[in-house]
Order: sequence, then structure tokens, then C-alpha cells
Amino acid sequence: MQHQNRLRPFFENITFDRDDNEMILNFGPQHPSAHGQLRLMLHLQQEMITKAHPDIGYLHRGMEKMAENMIYNEFMPTTDRMDYIASSSNNYGFALAVEKLIGLEVPRRAKVIRMLLLEINRLMSHLFWLATTALDIGAMTVFLFAFREREYLMDLIEDYCGARLTHAAIRIGGVPLDLPDNFIADMRRFLDKLPENIKDYEDLLDTNRIWRMRMEDVGVVSKEMALSWGCTGPMLRASGVAWDIRKEEPYELYSEVEFKVPVSDKGDNFARYRIYMEEMRQSAHILYQVADMYEETIKNNQTDLMAHAPKYISAPKIDIMTQNYSLMQHFVLVTQGMRPPVGEVYIPTESPKGELGFYINSQGGPYPYRLKLRAPSFWHTGILTDLLPGHYIPDVVSIIGTTNIVFGEVDR
Amino acid sequence: MRAYTPKDDVQAKSYYTDRFYVSPQVAKQDVSSDEVFAADLEAIKAKFEVLEAYIQVEQMVVYINAKDNVDVIKLVKEELDYTQLSEMSAIDWIAKSGQFEIFYQMLSMGKRKRIRIKCFIGKDEAINSVEKLFRSADWSEREMYDMFGIEVNNHPFLKRILMPYDWEGYPLLKTYPLEGDEFAAWYEVDKIYGKEARDIIGPEIRDTARVDRYDSERFGRLGHEVPKGTKITGNEPKTPLAYQEEGGVFMIDRFDEEKSVIITDRNR
Amino acid sequence: MAQHKVNYTQNAGLPVALTTIDKVVNWGRSNSIWALTYGLACCGIEMMASGASRYDFDRYGTIFRASPRQADVMIVAGTLTKKHAEFIKRLYDQMTEPRWVISMGSCANTGGMFNTYATVQGVDRIIPVDLYLPGCAPRPETLQYGVMLLQKKIRAEKAIKSQKTKRLM
Ligand code: SF4
Repeated sequence: MQHQNRLRPFFENITFDRDDNEMILNFGPQHPSAHGQLRLMLHLQQEMITKAHPDIGYLHRGMEKMAENMIYNEFMPTTDRMDYIASSSNNYGFALAVEKLIGLEVPRRAKVIRMLLLEINRLMSHLFWLATTALDIGAMTVFLFAFREREYLMDLIEDYCGARLTHAAIRIGGVPLDLPDNFIADMRRFLDKLPENIKDYEDLLDTNRIWRMRMEDVGVVSKEMALSWGCTGPMLRASGVAWDIRKEEPYELYSEVEFKVPVSDKGDNFARYRIYMEEMRQSAHILYQVADMYEETIKNNQTDLMAHAPKYISAPKIDIMTQNYSLMQHFVLVTQGMRPPVGEVYIPTESPKGELGFYINSQGGPYPYRLKLRAPSFWHTGILTDLLPGHYIPDVVSIIGTTNIVFGEVDR
Repeated sequence: MRAYTPKDDVQAKSYYTDRFYVSPQVAKQDVSSDEVFAADLEAIKAKFEVLEAYIQVEQMVVYINAKDNVDVIKLVKEELDYTQLSEMSAIDWIAKSGQFEIFYQMLSMGKRKRIRIKCFIGKDEAINSVEKLFRSADWSEREMYDMFGIEVNNHPFLKRILMPYDWEGYPLLKTYPLEGDEFAAWYEVDKIYGKEARDIIGPEIRDTARVDRYDSERFGRLGHEVPKGTKITGNEPKTPLAYQEEGGVFMIDRFDEEKSVIITDRNR
Repeated sequence: MAQHKVNYTQNAGLPVALTTIDKVVNWGRSNSIWALTYGLACCGIEMMASGASRYDFDRYGTIFRASPRQADVMIVAGTLTKKHAEFIKRLYDQMTEPRWVISMGSCANTGGMFNTYATVQGVDRIIPVDLYLPGCAPRPETLQYGVMLLQKKIRAEKAIKSQKTKRLM
């Protein structure tokens, strides 16, 4: 039995009065392979798409508005919900932007832990990408395999911060916790197995005829198009631009670790797939080095986890409990919030999806005056307008898959 | 007497600010301190009026006149090698000066430099679209229009992008409250069930701290379950937490904790 | 080959089980809860994780279907925004009776942390909900427990009587 309501049936996908063969196909907003809430209006000429019109905003939750009404520390958990596949990278982007605004230097141990979290998140995100894209194209086994590995990483993160998905694991000025005792050992054990696992996926996919036919020469993004649409991350690198913010404008300790940036000049789905696979290997390579760095910090007895800046950052818990002044500071910082200097910053970081930027305009108050989230997926969705025409309907799914869009980030 | 709240800015405000508090500034360097930026600025200055320019947090900020925006960005793109428009949006300064500030965040991959080009427009003025230069501006400008109501000239498809087409109000204006206005509060109810359903469905509950333990309409209480809508007295008998009914389930063996093995070693 | 140790002699030596229609129907219903994939946001990822290798939802007979017409339960996992609200109602109307709704995560329950202009403050403003799962995001275990509670709820219902329509209005 239907509830009474005012919704009229949708006939927008059928144009009765047209006598040409154009059909309008409505894809989404709730489509299993739309990776969230993407709605596409596709004009079709037989099976060929002539015009694509992505419609977003189905997950617009008003984060920028929330930021204007929240003190800086309060906003941290909200950033988790942007790119929820790799939460810590958003935490980090925001923390870094505020630190740059204040002019804060983070202790080395905290930096090392942040690096670990960032790269683990990159692995998680790429594994998830592989899983869902493979599922969309029909390779269910890869989905199950990749999720298995992802669960190990989830366990690692859970050991660290207690949450699986929404980590909030980074604070402005450092990290809240040290790594648990067996974290490094567990991680090494996982990393030792990872190359085998990646090889498993590749064995399943690389020689698979269906996979190759649906990936190769489909969804070719030219270099000009990628630049003009503001593509970043794997999307840009697959189109032949060697640009990785970790390499070019190093932040954190990326200048100290050694890694390669995979680039391809083909620009098609398959190139993107290869880049994701290669980046996973590179992330594992970075993680080994960072694990060594962590052990070094133990050896050198660098135990600080939070920067020392009483005006902006609360003192360590032990000081708060024992020293009157620290307690007062803490109280003011929690109830009123920190007041960064007047000014503005735009800080880009390389999140797993691309350039994640935080633009903060501070007017000296405890609330940001304007906070703009520059999320890579927003433009990777936009490019579908120009990318889809000329392709066939089945290609839509594989193209959406390889652009790796996450709607928490697109709509914010 | 009720405390005065300004009508032109309804965002959260600090409840206490020290009278003598002077906020520090993020340091601004002179453009001449960086060769690349200095050369870029010279090139822009040669053709257009630059109102102000400085370097802040390693990025150059250039203020120009709003009417020059397309030409300046064209110059910067074609001659100065700033190949990407990373971001653009607006800031609402209406309460202060009746203006919007529009910024274009540009990136040069060759020089590894970022600049921010800014301009001011009045409240009811429109800005020219840079969509012909950077396709990414297509969506950014739509978003700006959606969030601030700033009209963009020469835009191919200036419609709302994040909010529904029939939405009223521009959410990121400082006059727009976080929780939305009357229209926003009833948007989905009006659209789906019609205005007459407002009374039945009731207003949104937005008090985050609200806990009503006698509420059996909205939440079942685990362990003390009652049918929906009954009055709760507080003396409900405890219902044991179990996956299965006491008598067991047809065709399915009852789970017995005694007889099962609990794995504690996760590495097993 | 697996050996099925069915004790045929249990019911007076006959390969027959005596029961009521209610029980049989409810047994079928409760052990094949097909869920409509309704991953809206972050919680949808946890929903996928519960369907994937480690948590393996298929054990419960819960298989994710992409079409509302094949689904029994709608797991609303994630933030429902005002722009999307209309579609959840449409899809709910397309599901066949009997149907159930699990609201997963605090966003779906109450709007959660997004106390803003763009989020619906709880899906129960739009469609009737049977089960609320707390958490942000609820772990897959929570969803599993939720499904088991739903099974229990289904078994307590009268199967052959026509379902009382769950009305919001
Ligand atoms: S409840 Fe939390 S995890 Fe779930 S959709 Fe909402 S914000 Fe995301």
C-alpha cells in the first residue's frame, strides 16, 4: 500500500515528443555503481552517449558552513567525513593548514606517526578503490581479496585510534597518542605479505580479457583536459603530468623518504589502474622507511607528541593534571578555542585522491571566517561532463570507477 | 534585557573576548623577496592595475580590479605558466563593507609556485566567467552562485549545483543561519507530503543535547523494549539481550555459549 | 561432499516437520533478508565491509540487491540530505511488502553531527524505521546484531495476516 504523498512519477527520462532517437537516461542518484550519490543525466544516441550532465549535491552536508560555526579543534572530526575512505589524510590536511596559519613546528615523533597514518590511509584508499572498481566491472573475487587486506589495515588503525573508519587521529600541533607497542611489528608483518597480495590482484586482472577490454583505451583524458579541469593525483599522473605534491612541494618528512612517482602518458582507465597498483607498492616502500624512522626516534628519546605553544595548544595531560597554569590554558582553549593570527592560508596536500587543499581565512577569532575545502573529487566528477560523450553505456561504470570519486568529498 | 545579536552576521561568535586582546597577524613579506614572484608581479603590473600584492605563507596574493579578472587570468595562464586553477570561491564581507571578495587560487607546475588572485565586487554586481580559460571554473562558479548568489556573466549553465534547483536562499552568506531558515526546515516535508503534513510530522529536533528517556516514539530502548508509542513509566521489566527467542527457532539450533569456542588470539 | 546430518527419525520416524504456517513463513522471511544497497555516506562503507570477506553477510542470508523490488529491508546507511529525501521515499514506495527499514548510523537516526541546513534530521521524518543502529560509523558487528534483532522481530510478527501498513502519517 502506498503512502499518500505528493511525489509525481518521473517521466523526465522519456521524451515522448521527440522523433529523433535521443533518449535521456537517468543514472542515480542511488545507483550501486555510482560510488555514492552521483546522478548522471545521459543523452543517448543508440548506446552512445552524446551529452552527459552530472548532478551532484546529494550528499551536501554543509561542512563549510559548519566550519564557520565551530572552533578549530571542533572541526577536526568533521573533516573525517569528507573523504571517508581515508579519513586521516583529511585530518592531516586541516591540521597542517592551521599549523601553517599559526606558524607551528611539530615534534619529530609526531611527524613520523603522521607519515605512518597517511601512508596507511593511502593504502586503504587504493585497496578500496581496487575492490569497488573491480566489483563494478564484475570481478567479485578481487573485491573479496582487497577487502581482506583492507581489514588488516583497519585493524592497525583501530589499534592506534580506536576507530575503523572515522579516525580523527591527528590533532592540530601533533598527534594525541603514541603508537601501541606491537604496531610496528604488526605493520611489518602486513607489509611483508602485501607484494604477494598485489601480485594476486594483478594475476587476476592483468591478463583478464574482460578487464582489459573494459579498461584499455576507455575514458582517455588528455593532458590539456586534465590540466584545464583541475585534475590532480592519479588522474593527472595517468595523463602524463608528473606532479605529486609529496615530491614537488614536500611537506612533513616526505623529503627524507625515497619513493618513485608512477606516471603514464596513456590517460585511459588502464593507465589509472596501473598507477594505483604502483602507488600501493610505493606506499609500502615508504612505510618500511618510516617504520625505521620511528625506531630511531625511540632510540634518540624524542618523546614529544604535541608541539609546545601554550597560546594555541593544550599542554600534555600530565601537566594539565598537575600544574595550575596549564589547567587554566586548557580550560580556555577548550571552552573558547584557540585564536590564530589574522591572515589566510591555502595549504595543499596529496591525499590519495589528489590535491586536498584547505583555504582558511582567519580574522583573529576562534572561528574561521571562511574555510574552503578544495576536494580533488569535485573536479574529477566535473570532468565527466567532457569525458563521457562518445563512450558507450557500459563504459560509464568503468570510467566512474577509475576516477575514484568519493561523494563526501565532492559535495562536502 | 535580551542580548543584542547582529542581524547581518548570524554565525557563532565567541562569548568572551578580552577587551585588550589584539590579534597578531600572519607575517606578510614583500614581493621583492622572491625573484619568481617579483617577475610575475612585474608582468601583471605592466598591463593591469594591481591594488596590492604581498607574499603570505609562501604564496603571492595579488589584488586586482574585478573588471580585469578574465584578462589577468589569461595573462597568468598563457604567459606566466600558471597552468591550473586549483580553486576559486568567494568570501562574504557584506556586513563589513558590502562586498564579496573573490579569490582564484592558481598553480604553476613548472615553477612550483602558487598565487592567489583576488578582487572585490559589490553586493549586486556580477563577475565575468573564466570558464573559457579553465574548464574547472565551470563548476566552481556554479558552486559560488549556489552558495553566495553571485551572478556570473557568460557562464554556459549557471544553475545551482549542490542545493536542489528549487532551493531558496544562499547558504554560505553570513546572514544565513547554520540550521537553515524556515524554508530549509520544512523543505523535505513540504516537497514529499505537502504543507498539511507539517503538524503531523512535527518540527525538527535540533537540540543535540536533548535526551528524553520517556520517548518511545522515536527510539526503542535496548534491554527495556516496549511497543512503539506506549507510555514509559520507568519500571519496565528487563528484556534479556538475545539473538533468539527463549524457545529456540524453527529449524535452527540455538546458539549455546557454553558449547562454543571463543577465539581470543586474533593471530591464530 | 559435505555430510548433512539430518535426523529424519526425530519427528516420529517421518521426514516431516510439523509446524505452523506462521513459523514456516517467518522462517523463510527472517533467513533471507535481502537488503537494498542504500549506502549514502561513510556508513555505507561499513555496510559494504559487512558484506565483504571478513564479516560475510551471506551467512545470514542477507544479500545486497540493487533493486528495491527485490529487497526486503532497506538499510539506510549514511546522511540523508534534503536534496536526496525525495528519492528515499520513492524507493521505499517501490519496495514490496513486507518491508523493513534499518537506519544505520547517527546521521540516519537523528541527523547526527550534521546539524545543518542541508541534512534531514533523521530518516524517520520521511519513512517509518524499524531499527536504529547507533554509532558513527557503527561497526559491522553492530549491523550484524541489528540484522539479528530484525530477524527476531520478523519472527514475532504474524505472517499470514496482511501486514499493518507502517504509517508515518
Ligand atoms: S553516522 Fe557518521 S559515519 Fe555514518 S554517515 Fe553519518 S557521519 Fe558518516
